[in-house]
Amino acid sequence: ATLTMAAVRAQTKFLSTNVLIKPFFSRFCASGSGQEAGEGASQVKKVNQESGQDGSQIKKVEPGGFAKSFIKYTQSSSSKVSEEAPKPSRTFSSLLRNSKLIQLGDPEGKVVEGTVFHVVENDLYIDFGSKFYCVCHRPQRNAQSYVRGARVRLRLHELELSTRFLGSSTDMTLLEADATLLGLIHPPKKTESAKQ
Amino acid sequence: MGRGLWHRGIVSSSNPVQSAVEPLEKLQESSSDAITEQMAKSLKYPDFFKVAELFTVEDLFNARVHLGHREGSLNDHMSQFIFGSRLSHLIFDLDQTATLLREALNFTAHIAFRGGIILFVGRIPQHQVMIENTAKECGEYAHTRYWQGGVLTNSTIQFGSVIRLPDLIIFLHTMNNVIYEHTAIRDAAKMLIPTVGIVDTNCNPNLITYPVPGNDDSAASISLFCNLFKAAILRGKEKRKELLGVH
Repeated sequence: ATLTMAAVRAQTKFLSTNVLIKPFFSRFCASGSGQEAGEGASQVKKVNQESGQDGSQIKKVEPGGFAKSFIKYTQSSSSKVSEEAPKPSRTFSSLLRNSKLIQLGDPEGKVVEGTVFHVVENDLYIDFGSKFYCVCHRPQRNAQSYVRGARVRLRLHELELSTRFLGSSTDMTLLEADATLLGLIHPPKKTESAKQ
Repeated sequence: MGRGLWHRGIVSSSNPVQSAVEPLEKLQESSSDAITEQMAKSLKYPDFFKVAELFTVEDLFNARVHLGHREGSLNDHMSQFIFGSRLSHLIFDLDQTATLLREALNFTAHIAFRGGIILFVGRIPQHQVMIENTAKECGEYAHTRYWQGGVLTNSTIQFGSVIRLPDLIIFLHTMNNVIYEHTAIRDAAKMLIPTVGIVDTNCNPNLITYPVPGNDDSAASISLFCNLFKAAILRGKEKRKELLGVH
């Protein structure tokens, strides 16, 4: 008998502590679905509706360190593009001022990208966005990749090969640019029909 | 605006305003008097075919129209159209180019509206096929091969019969090669045929009726000019069918 009573007393002790613990959790747990938590939320809502000045009383859950950086690096990628590159106005003067030609400066020694648009045996005709194209010899290394549509890297020397010869009144022009082929960036993109 | 534009007496705003004239209606009877009357009415508008909508200065810029040759090969008559030079490479003033191009396209469209024959001429081999295709697509003519001396001035004897000469000649390249001008410029002036021409910094714009200063060496710029002229001609022909009821 004494054993059973002790057992019952222990059980009731245990039960009582359990009952005590429950309200503790429901009051302070953020995701608590108990009555008290529900009441707390509705109270919060009421306060918000009445006036927004009591925001200091409402404790907003601050995002942690990782959450902050996640928001910063995912959202800023969309807004950075519009912020960083200010759209130049469409007048010719501003278009020219912000153009690649002006940014290039002296073409001697500048590295640019070009596209092969024509091939005649071992000569590659490369257009790099200037008035004239340049003609370069096909290199021996990786020769089969240099076909029409290939993207290549060039070192410029002149934008136009033209000079005054002795005895003439105007310049003689070759209607070509002068550049050295540095290498391939990527071979031409294959079309779907080619893949099939 | 350069000196040259004021001398020509051209005053043209960037946004052409239509005068307060009633729009042309489709002809009920296609008598020749009514047709000539309609044609005369179409001249009252500054931009009847709205060619100003066909391009913007930015389109010209992206097609590299502003790039010229070096200072050493500059023709003095072209200096009025130059914005400046960047490390001895000349740059066209695209504001002037845009104005003159609108005038040229407007004129081309009017010629097409009146059923005129238009001849595309250009002597640079790289753009030959492009020019010939442009002419094919707008139902007009092209001559991009060796120009025989008497094609315009001695046509009756050369072709063996009475010839209807072109009513407009459009030069995509005014030079034969680097040194000589195309013979057709002088011959068209002799035969009183109006000409439209793309003039680069080394070209002479004097004998051309509607010079358009711009780059004629890049495929991108020639392609843009071909498309613009084709569009203007097709607009003129469309209006011709619609308003005059004639093909």
